[in-house]
Amino acid sequence: MFSIKLGLKNLTRQKRRNSITILVIAFAFFIYLFLDSVMGGMEQLSFNNIINFETGNIQVAYPQYWEEREELPLENLIYLNQDIEESIKNIDGLLATSPELRFIANLNNGIDEIAVIGLGILPEKYNEVYTTQQYLVAGSIFSPGESKAVIGKGLAELMDLKIGDYITLLIRTKEETFNTIDLEIGGLVNTPHPMINNGIVFVPLDIAQQALNVENGVSMITIRTNKEKEITPIIDDINQNFQKKNINIKAYSWRESAETVIAYSAAQDAETAVVLTVILVIGMIGIINNVILSALERTREIGMMKALGMREWEIVLVFMIEACGVGIIGGLAGCLLGAAGVGWMVKYGYDLSYIGGDMSLYGIPILDKIYGVWNLSSFIFIFFFGIIIALFSSIAPAYWAAHKDPVKALYHR
Amino acid sequence: MSLLELKGVKKIYQQGKIKVPALRGVDLIVEQGEFSTIFGPSGSGKTTLLNMIGCLDTPTEGEIRLNGNKVSDLSRKALAMTRRFNIGFVFQSYNLIPVLTAYENVEFAIRLIDHTSELKVKERVLKILEEVGLKGLENRRPNELSGGESQRVAIARALVKEPKLVLADEPTANLDSKNAADVVKIMVKMNKELGTTFIFSTHDPMVMEYAHRYINLKDGMISADERRG
Ligand SMILES: Nc1ncnc2c1ncn2[C@@H]1O[C@H](COP(=O)(O)OP(=O)(O)OP(=O)(O)O)[C@@H](O)[C@H]1O
Ligand SMILES: [Mg+2]
Repeated sequence: MFSIKLGLKNLTRQKRRNSITILVIAFAFFIYLFLDSVMGGMEQLSFNNIINFETGNIQVAYPQYWEEREELPLENLIYLNQDIEESIKNIDGLLATSPELRFIANLNNGIDEIAVIGLGILPEKYNEVYTTQQYLVAGSIFSPGESKAVIGKGLAELMDLKIGDYITLLIRTKEETFNTIDLEIGGLVNTPHPMINNGIVFVPLDIAQQALNVENGVSMITIRTNKEKEITPIIDDINQNFQKKNINIKAYSWRESAETVIAYSAAQDAETAVVLTVILVIGMIGIINNVILSALERTREIGMMKALGMREWEIVLVFMIEACGVGIIGGLAGCLLGAAGVGWMVKYGYDLSYIGGDMSLYGIPILDKIYGVWNLSSFIFIFFFGIIIALFSSIAPAYWAAHKDPVKALYHR
Repeated sequence: MSLLELKGVKKIYQQGKIKVPALRGVDLIVEQGEFSTIFGPSGSGKTTLLNMIGCLDTPTEGEIRLNGNKVSDLSRKALAMTRRFNIGFVFQSYNLIPVLTAYENVEFAIRLIDHTSELKVKERVLKILEEVGLKGLENRRPNELSGGESQRVAIARALVKEPKLVLADEPTANLDSKNAADVVKIMVKMNKELGTTFIFSTHDPMVMEYAHRYINLKDGMISADERRG
C-alpha cells in the first residue's frame, strides 16, 4: 500500500520536530514506567515486611479478639488444646505455626519510660514463621523460661540500652492489676520493618503468660505457608476444621493487616491514573501539533495528491501512519529509557533518607531503601497505549488536512 | 464525440461581498489528441479554466463534459475519481514528494489506479522515465534533480497512467529557456507517441510555438481560438 510507504518515508521529514515529539513522548513514558516500578517495589516491600515481621501468611484468632486486636486486649485469648492444635496441623501447604501473646507494656530503663508492644513468643516456633532472627545484630535470641528480652536497635538507641542491660516492663494483668517483668537485654535486631525496630519487646511466651496471669492463653497463632499467593484454600481448610470441631476460631489472611498499605496502593493507583492522563495529554498535544504543522507545510503537496485523485482516507492514512511511527519510536525510546531507570532502581534502589526516611509515618512499613520491581505488563501496556494515542489523536488533524479543497491547497489561496 | 466540451462555463468567485467573475461564459470543444495552449494576460482566467477542465473545481454556471459524461455537477468524491482515472496534471512548481525518488514519485501515480503485478508497474515506470529522458536518474530525490529534470519527472508522473488528458498550468514558468524548450518537446513527443491530449497555459511565446492550437483568454472569455500546423 503506497500510503503506508509514503507515511513511513515522511517520518524522515522535519527530523527535528519529529525528534522533539519523540523525546517528549519517551520522557513521559519513562516517568510512568519509573513511578510504576517504584510503587510496585514499595508495595511489594511493604507486603513482604508485613508477612515476614508482623503477621506471617495467616493469623488465627477468635473473631472477637480479631476485631479489637489493635487494642491488644487480654480477653478472648486462645487456650491451646489438642482440638485447636489438630485443627491447624496436617494442612496441605502449611509450613509452620507460632503462638504469640501480644500485650501493652511500658518499658522502663531506670530513668525513662516508653510505651511499647510486648510480644510473648516461643523462639523456635517464632523463627519458623518470621525472618526477624536473620536481622539479629547483637546477642542472641532467648530460650523459653529465660528472663531475657530482644528489642529493636532503634528502641535500644532511644532508651540508651545495650546487651546485658536490665529493663522493667510495666504491665496490667488480665484482672487489671499492675505487675512488672524484669528482663535482661539478650539480643538486638535491626530489621527493615520500622515497627519491630522501634516499638517491640520480644519476651519468652511463658514469662509473659505468667506475668499477665493468662495461663496458657495466646492472642493468636500465626502461620507460614509454602504458597504466598494461594493462601485462600489453606484458610478455608483451617476454617472448616474449626467448624467441624465447633470451635469459633477463624483464620485471617495477612492482607487484612495490610489495609493501610493496600489503601495507600489504591491511592497510588489513582495517582498513576493522573500520571497516565498527563501522558495522554502530552502525547496527544505532541502528535496533534506534529500532524497540523506537517499538514500546513505540505499544503501544496496535499493539493497535488488530491489533484492526482487520491481519496481522502488515503491521505488520512499517510498522516496517521506517520503519527503512528512517531508514537512507536517514542514508545520504544520511552520503554528503553524506562528499562534503564527501572533496572537501576531494581539494582541499586533509592535511599529513603534522602527524602527524610521513615515511611512508617504514613503507615507504610518500610525503612531505609526502596527498590523498584520489573513489571513487564506496564511496558507492554504503555507501548500500545502510545500507539493508540498516536492513532486516535492524529485522526482529526489528518482528516482536516485531507479534506482541504484541492484548488486552495494547490494555490495556497 | 469530443473528448472535452464546455458550454457557457462561468466561474464567479465570492470575495467577501464582491463577486469576482473569473470566467464569463466559455465555450470550447477539444478533440482527442490535440495539443493546445491557453494564453492571455495575468488574471484572464487561465488557471481557473484549467481547474474546471481538470475537475478540481466546478463551474458556477454552464456545463462540462468529459468523454461525453457531464462532470460539472459531480460530487467531490466523484470528481476525485474522475481525476484519478482520466486526467494527468503538471504543475508550475513540480510538486514532487521530496522523500520519494524520481521512480517512486512516478510509481505513486500508477499505484493509485493499478494494483496489478509489481513487475508490470516497474516496467511501466522505468519505460516512461526513459521516454522523458531520465534514464539513470531513477533513484535521485527531487533535491538532487534540476528544475528541468524535476518537471520531466512530473510529466512522467502525469503520463504513467496513460490518461486521455494532461493539463499543465504554466509548466515552464520556473525553467530557463533551454529547459523550458526541452520540457515542451517532451510533451510534444508524448502527444505524438501516445496520442495524449495536452492543454497547457503559458506566458512564454517561445513555448507557445510548439502548440497546434492557440486559445486566447481575455477577461474570462475566449477572444481567439486558432489551429496551426
Ligand atoms: N479563489 C479565488 N478567490 C477570488 N478570486 C479569485 C480566486 N481565484 C482566482 N480569482 C480571480 O479570478 C481571476 C482569474 O484568475 P486566474 O488565476 O484564473 O488567472 P490567470 O490567468 O491564471 O492569471 P496568471 O497568469 O496570473 O496565473 C483573477 O482576477 C483572480 O484574482
Ligand atoms: Mg494562473
